Amino acid sequence: MAYYDGLFNVLGLRTWCDADAGGSNLSMASLLAKTKPGTADDGPLFPFPSMDELHQACSSMPQSRDFTASVEAAFLEVKDVLKLVLDPLTQPLSWLLELALTGFVSAPWWIIIPLLLLFVWYVARSVAVTAFVTLSFVFLGFIDHLEAAFQTLAIIGVCTGICILLGVPVGIAMAKSNTFQRALIPLLDLLQTLPTFVYLIPLIFLFSVTEPKLYGIAIIVYAIVPVIRLTDLGIRLVDRDVIEAANAFGMSPRQKLFGVELPLALPNIMAGVNQTIMMSLAMVVIASLVSAPGLGVLVLRGIRNLELGVGLIAGLGIVLLAIILDRVSKAAIARVSSDQTQG
Amino acid sequence: MTSDPKIQIRNLYKIFGTDPKSALKCVKDGMDKDQLLAQHGHVLGLNDISVDMQVGAITVVMGLSGSGKSTLIRHINRLIEPTDGQVLIDGEDALLLGTEALREKRRSDMSMVFQKFALLPHRTVIDNSALPLEVRGVEREERKRAAAGWLERVGLGGYENHYPYQLSGGMQQRVGIARALTSNSDIMLMDEAFSALDPLIRSDMQKLLLDLHVELKKTIVFITHDLDEALRLANHLVILKDGAVIQQGEPQGILLNPGDPYIEDFVSDINRARVLRVKSIMQSSVSASSFAGDIDAEDNLESVIARSGGETGHTYRVMQNGKAMGQLEMKDVMRALVPRATSGARTVA
Repeated sequence: MAYYDGLFNVLGLRTWCDADAGGSNLSMASLLAKTKPGTADDGPLFPFPSMDELHQACSSMPQSRDFTASVEAAFLEVKDVLKLVLDPLTQPLSWLLELALTGFVSAPWWIIIPLLLLFVWYVARSVAVTAFVTLSFVFLGFIDHLEAAFQTLAIIGVCTGICILLGVPVGIAMAKSNTFQRALIPLLDLLQTLPTFVYLIPLIFLFSVTEPKLYGIAIIVYAIVPVIRLTDLGIRLVDRDVIEAANAFGMSPRQKLFGVELPLALPNIMAGVNQTIMMSLAMVVIASLVSAPGLGVLVLRGIRNLELGVGLIAGLGIVLLAIILDRVSKAAIARVSSDQTQG
Repeated sequence: MTSDPKIQIRNLYKIFGTDPKSALKCVKDGMDKDQLLAQHGHVLGLNDISVDMQVGAITVVMGLSGSGKSTLIRHINRLIEPTDGQVLIDGEDALLLGTEALREKRRSDMSMVFQKFALLPHRTVIDNSALPLEVRGVEREERKRAAAGWLERVGLGGYENHYPYQLSGGMQQRVGIARALTSNSDIMLMDEAFSALDPLIRSDMQKLLLDLHVELKKTIVFITHDLDEALRLANHLVILKDGAVIQQGEPQGILLNPGDPYIEDFVSDINRARVLRVKSIMQSSVSASSFAGDIDAEDNLESVIARSGGETGHTYRVMQNGKAMGQLEMKDVMRALVPRATSGARTVA
């Protein structure tokens, strides 16, 4: 007899409980118990009243696996509608990713590398950083990892761009409205703490695994949080005296935003962009599970086939990319902040 | 001072708190600042302020921290909204202006100089001082030309392409003043504009402001906590305490006839010889038979004492614009140097 039989008897629910006695599935535990009859009632003295435990006493109570099944059913229920809306909305992301990937891979190395170095120089204006990036590219090329590295870079580039495009306006709206900020913060907390693999599960159901937007969305949703947070913070931290001066000279909200708030928040926003880039890189490796090309694929191959060398070298490549992205964006931040350091 | 005042403040109240309207009733029924805070949790910012600020005059509002002087100046351009009262600018109620009209008013009729300079750190000196014209949509070349002219005038020629952080505090405030002048507005609001500067620089800046005032005849509202500064600049002096005006008028008059123990306390620390002018204490009749010499009505007493060489028996003839205005006996000078209320009770530690 189950521990909680008495409870249902006292509540007078016995008839309701036994209404469909025969219909329930056997759990593994009860199946085992049946084969070894002697141990059936050797459970703990006072078991926790969990769904499964209550089900033993009353077969009308749902089991916990019914709970997860219903979550799945609910998701499948809305899946088609969701897909109908999201599919066309996110299609440009697929095109962008495909374009960037083919662009990076099909362009000859003697064009793409100088272009990238020029970009690095333009953003960072630092000889040391540019030299380091050059050496890293030469090294990656020499060990035949250039194509994979460029694929990874292409995905990060597209996703970071979209993160900035979406994140900065959201951050501005958050800075302007306390209500919006309060509403959004729990969502941002959720996005930031959700384990990375969990992002992939619903996306796999929504899109086919061959579509680039599947991993694109996963990366963007995961990496957009810091740019939103730091835009919000940056604008809220703008010196109140300066804002007062802007008001006193009759600046319109638009003039204030573009002439004062955004330029003064720029170092903070760029710190957010730096975080976003690093998080994109972290996610793009995991996204290899759902067909994202690049260095992550090699890491995955290393794990699947136990090819130690392949995995380690690809890992080293990822570390190199991380250092490049971090140093370039940090150099850009330093350049921007030194323009307005006071005192 | 025959024309209408440029700015008229009428029965202005400001109460900070969650329910200022009901707190206002208590204040109008005579509750004071401490009682209001204790019983209602509201802070009385301004209490029944009425001040006329004349065209082309420097009105100085003086008070210690927390007296409400910065709150008051922010009501003129409505950076702070009043709880009750009127602010008339050129006879027009500024509190009735809509958002657009207010913005327009701030753009063309008023400019402001701030204690902490409040320059845009990411812009060069010239772009900072051209800001008011940029806001108004003036062409880049034209506004730069105007800004360069004013920078030259405040003594910053050659610094156009520096960034604010490359300049000293005094120079940054010169940029602040150039910015206010570039807006070419009639009214200049100066919120403790020189308080963050060291004494020598401050004195320079006061001189600059007086020179500019003679030249441009703007209506200037100047906030300060420093009585020396107030006396040097003011045509009209308003003294605030706990959000209320305790005395206002011509500064020499306030110095000679303080209307309140609080002000007496204030003025007792002043170097009267330097602040008081001959015209404030002279006799307006010319009766003495012989004079030790001629002095100007605008001279301060310090220069008269220096001239007399310590001799207390002299009588001087007071001249203004080449005409004899009156006479000044040295014993009157000596008497004026002692604050009226000076009491033997003031102890020296």
